[in-house]
Amino acid sequence: MRKVAAIVIASAFFAILLISFYQIPQSGYSGSEYYYSNPITGSHANESVPSHYISGTKNETGAVNAVTAIVVEYRGFDTLGEVTVLFTAATGVAFLLHKGKGGKKRAEANLILREGSKLVLPFILLAGAYIFIHGHLTPGGGFPGGAVIASGFLLMMLSYPKFFMKEKPVSITESFAGITFAVIGLLGLLFASSFLENFLPLGNAGYLLSAGIIPVIYIAIGFKVGSELSSIADKLKEVQK
Amino acid sequence: MVMHPVLMIAIPLLSAFIMPLIKKAHRYFAFSILLLNTALSILLFAKVYNEGALYETIAGFSPPVGIYLAVDNLSALLAFLINIFATINFLTSRQDFRFSMLYLLGVAGATGIVLTGDIFNMFVFFEITAVASYALVASKKDRKATEGAIKYMILGSVGSVFMLVGIAIIYSQLKSLNLYDIAARISSMDTKMMWLSFSFLLTGIGVEAELFPLNGWVPDAYEGAESNISSFLSFGPSKASIYAIARLLIIFSMSRTYELALYLGIVTLLVGELAAFTQKNTKRMLAYSSIGQMGLILIAFSLMDKTSYAIPAAFFIIVSHASAKSALFLLSDKDGFGDMSSKYAGLAGVLSLIGMPPLAGFWGKWYLLMGVADEKIWAVAAIIIFSAVIEAIYFARYLYKNMEGKESSRNSIPAAVMVSISIVMGILPILYNMAGGVLNA
Amino acid sequence: MMWPEYVTVAALISIGLYGVMAKKNLMKIFIAISLMETGVNLLLITIGYIPEGTAPIENGNFVKYVDPLPQALVLTAIVIGLSVTALALTLLIRYHSKTGTLEYRRGMKW
Repeated sequence: MRKVAAIVIASAFFAILLISFYQIPQSGYSGSEYYYSNPITGSHANESVPSHYISGTKNETGAVNAVTAIVVEYRGFDTLGEVTVLFTAATGVAFLLHKGKGGKKRAEANLILREGSKLVLPFILLAGAYIFIHGHLTPGGGFPGGAVIASGFLLMMLSYPKFFMKEKPVSITESFAGITFAVIGLLGLLFASSFLENFLPLGNAGYLLSAGIIPVIYIAIGFKVGSELSSIADKLKEVQK
Repeated sequence: MVMHPVLMIAIPLLSAFIMPLIKKAHRYFAFSILLLNTALSILLFAKVYNEGALYETIAGFSPPVGIYLAVDNLSALLAFLINIFATINFLTSRQDFRFSMLYLLGVAGATGIVLTGDIFNMFVFFEITAVASYALVASKKDRKATEGAIKYMILGSVGSVFMLVGIAIIYSQLKSLNLYDIAARISSMDTKMMWLSFSFLLTGIGVEAELFPLNGWVPDAYEGAESNISSFLSFGPSKASIYAIARLLIIFSMSRTYELALYLGIVTLLVGELAAFTQKNTKRMLAYSSIGQMGLILIAFSLMDKTSYAIPAAFFIIVSHASAKSALFLLSDKDGFGDMSSKYAGLAGVLSLIGMPPLAGFWGKWYLLMGVADEKIWAVAAIIIFSAVIEAIYFARYLYKNMEGKESSRNSIPAAVMVSISIVMGILPILYNMAGGVLNA
Repeated sequence: MMWPEYVTVAALISIGLYGVMAKKNLMKIFIAISLMETGVNLLLITIGYIPEGTAPIENGNFVKYVDPLPQALVLTAIVIGLSVTALALTLLIRYHSKTGTLEYRRGMKW
């Protein structure tokens, strides 16, 4: 009975979704129907929001990667929130799980996995660092970079049953990375006029040392995401039976 | 001092990041941050009240290219309420530093929801509060709390997916995420798409706002959680999200959407009050009664386009419900009002909730009835009075049961302080004017 | 209109909804929620896509770029989904240790 009702509701929902998607235009974003109005002044702009991002990224933020410019600069506040959600979840995981009681002993991984993972770990960490340092130039950034770093530690956890993350350094890294992000935001309020505003020189677009605060924030995010994801994995592993 | 509303969000986040480094003094630290936030919110309200709505761009890009905070009288008042109740409620916490972190994050998220002027940013803050609340509900380590948290989490996650679909549909039509830009250009949207995005957003926010078909989690989560967390849920996330629904109504501002909200409010009110009437368990009774009150607030907001009484009415019901219901939840960890302060808090709280003059709850219902009378929708007036009678009956039963009890809650003093705020706000009808000129979109 | 993408989105979201409503195993419910989240992410990406557009990274010679904003939103949405999943797994571990099962209790229905 329950299943039948669920099927009926889900198929009705499917139909509603398809009908609504049918109306989504595919003409791109440059049409005049998208010209935005500024809510503070009430004036109308001569472009749409996405085309502003496409044309303005290089001059306004010094980054060549428009997605990064949006994530860190234009909508940096969202990213602060997003980092906070992850931080909240990591805190919640640590808050809710009791300290592991050891659990069942798992068998050692075989020789090839153990030695091999030791061998690749530095390269994984290096790749992660590369991804988040070059966030403003290439696809990627703090979140993918942090995830790559955490995957390196996850590999170690898989191949060495006794491998665990030391809680103190991880939580200190996590805290300092978060503090860096928030403090950079507050410095923007101090040196420029608004929260998270860029106060460093933009430099030459396309070079590593450019785009003002973007690389700094992305490095902080990389450390933060890396340490949070590995601590979540570690906590979940500890209680494993 | 130049007032930056963003500080009210940034400082709690920063201090939550700092917290693991200073585990020892976490309680004093978190308390002083909450106190600072309350002070900031008073300054913010003074500024907004004197100078009109305040806009703060973030990252130096003018909206809608960048994000901005849009603060009007009502949102400043709500930020004040959330922070002051959070400060008082925090006095009752007896847990470790991670609890303080989650609590601060939850408060910062709720504050963010009422201050932000960007729909996706609102979604992010919703998630911050929601994730913090899931963890906080589960902080009591027994089976009931876990079940309540899981149920809350399932509905909350589905709700956030719905909200995101709504945002995606709006973005596909207008290529903008700014609330006021959307409001200005919404008429260029196809009516069908407007309805779709409105219903998706309403469903998504409605989970947190405890609206009728989406509130299955409410009794279980409130019952399972520690009593100070039930109290937090009733002044924090739920109040912030009902305000988000008010903003949503203003953006779409079609007469039919207001009508839908009115019906939804009526159903929520009736279901909540009737369910509360049949409950034996105190916390479940209070939770269902909360649902009813949320319905009442939604009714008030849904009359926003018709009468100027609507917003003051909603504001006073929010004040009364946030203070009195939070206080009653704080007292609910023991059966009985043993000492003087809990007798006072329980009695005044109940009187405010049923709407005895001159408490805040009375002004809320009074203005609401005035608004309804202006519009001559007598059926709604009858329903409001009917629900008030039911409320009076079950609260009388509740009082009778608790006044007998000898043991008393450890949280009685904070609860008394909370209720006093409702009393102060009730005898200051000046606030009517303060809450009057709000939401000037 | 890009039918394959939109049909996939609608299918993912409604299958997820079906799973949430019909399944009793909590693990399966959270898998269903992840499905819904994936569907929404695909929806956002598809909305921002322009036929023959490339990644919005400026490289000198002008080409057609896709809309960068939905990609940024999806980044946020993915991280949020991940956080919720991590917390959900934690609660499920706790639930399992309290009840010895991952099934719904009868009284827990709504």
